[in-house]
Amino acid sequence: MNIPGYSTILLQIDEGIGRLELNTPPSNTMTMKFFTEFSSVLEFISNSQEFKALVITGHGRHYSSGADVPVLLKEILEKTKTDEHGRLTVVPDFLSNNYRSLLMLESFSIPIISAIRGVCLGSALELALFSHFRLCGEDAVFGLPEASFNLVPGLGGIYKLACISGEALALERVLKGSTFTAEDALKYKIIDKIVPKKALMPTAFNFAREVMQDFRVEKRGLYIKKYFS
Amino acid sequence: METINKISWEIRNDIGIITLVNPPENYLVQPEFVPIETLKKWTSYDYLKGIMICGAGKHFSGGGKLENLFKMIGDKEPISETMGKGKAVLEHLENLDIPVVAAIQGICFGGGLEIALASHIRVCSENALFAFPEINQGIIPGLGGTVRCPAKTGFPKAIKFIMSGDMINAEDAMEMRLVDFIVSKQKVFDFSFTFLQKLTRDRPLPVINAVMKALKNARSLSPEEAMKEETRMFCELALAEAKRRNGSSES
Repeated sequence: MNIPGYSTILLQIDEGIGRLELNTPPSNTMTMKFFTEFSSVLEFISNSQEFKALVITGHGRHYSSGADVPVLLKEILEKTKTDEHGRLTVVPDFLSNNYRSLLMLESFSIPIISAIRGVCLGSALELALFSHFRLCGEDAVFGLPEASFNLVPGLGGIYKLACISGEALALERVLKGSTFTAEDALKYKIIDKIVPKKALMPTAFNFAREVMQDFRVEKRGLYIKKYFS
Repeated sequence: METINKISWEIRNDIGIITLVNPPENYLVQPEFVPIETLKKWTSYDYLKGIMICGAGKHFSGGGKLENLFKMIGDKEPISETMGKGKAVLEHLENLDIPVVAAIQGICFGGGLEIALASHIRVCSENALFAFPEINQGIIPGLGGTVRCPAKTGFPKAIKFIMSGDMINAEDAMEMRLVDFIVSKQKVFDFSFTFLQKLTRDRPLPVINAVMKALKNARSLSPEEAMKEETRMFCELALAEAKRRNGSSES
């Protein structure tokens, strides 16, 4: 069943499993509109009793290329409060809402599974890192490229990557800013399982069906061992 | 090159190098192995982009000589204060907002391992050996090893490692996530130095500082606070970058 009302997100539910697709083709850039809609989709899901699991993926060939940096910079320049020296005083709400959305996503009591094809860069990788489980196709490409344009990940990506992969790896990946492969992502524990591209969505939905029965986030490791080793 | 307490300091390109120079085992003279004020002075050069810590000769460090430590008990200064000074040195290193790499070859025991654990990245040679031998003398690691070791390895492995006092090799250390890279014996210094340079070379200091602060927050703040700070640092850099792109850079 399709749930209408969003232009940058396709939301469906079928037998209790939600399917959230980032839908700003061709590479599903996370626009300002997307972040606003994403936050209201999460509200909607958390207020609904129907969702027992959620699979997040990108419409088409890619998960997402991340935030729309030029627009984001322009918005920040316009909306950030600064003191007389031009220094930041208050972070604009639209930015704070984005990291709060990821915290909210992570706190859901239903399993959140990111199924990643194609590119998964910047804020998109941060979104994936805050999912409870991460599966990818063998062609997936990952990266936190922010440092290469004088920025850093800003939605908790540094924090989360340090928790998942350790401080040294987070430091290396963020400062280098270069992309890495699915095999590397698996080695870094960023990915739980690599699946053949065509099998990715069926695998994600089958897995969702299994774990939604008795999901508890503390049992994450056990589910991965049981279904993916 | 400056030397104090058998520790030397030099700057090569924009990387600071701290060398433990008390061969052969590079034993630490005292818990505050380098005076904190000296360390603060060394690390305050504002063009520094990274720090490498290594040992002179074949070994990283055998740690403190326990006989010396036992002799200090009964000194004017209470032992807790002596240890506190050592801990402050390691905290200073860990909290620097530029990356610190420990380049480890040969033995890395006790206080030596605690220095390595306070670094952000640990590179070791294939022949490196690690241990917390304190337990064999009826004491425990006293410079934060009991805290930083489990933070890297998890409690079960840390308990076994610290309680047994057993020595482990590079592969076991890697398996335990006690080290991040293993390289051949001849390459430890070159690899560590080049790695640091490659990481930092093309990055402006504000970006490096923001990443290091975010990692420090990940260690010390709640998830909410750490994320909030990360967004704030992003916003600061974005503001500067937006102005730069607009050609209206800050005066």
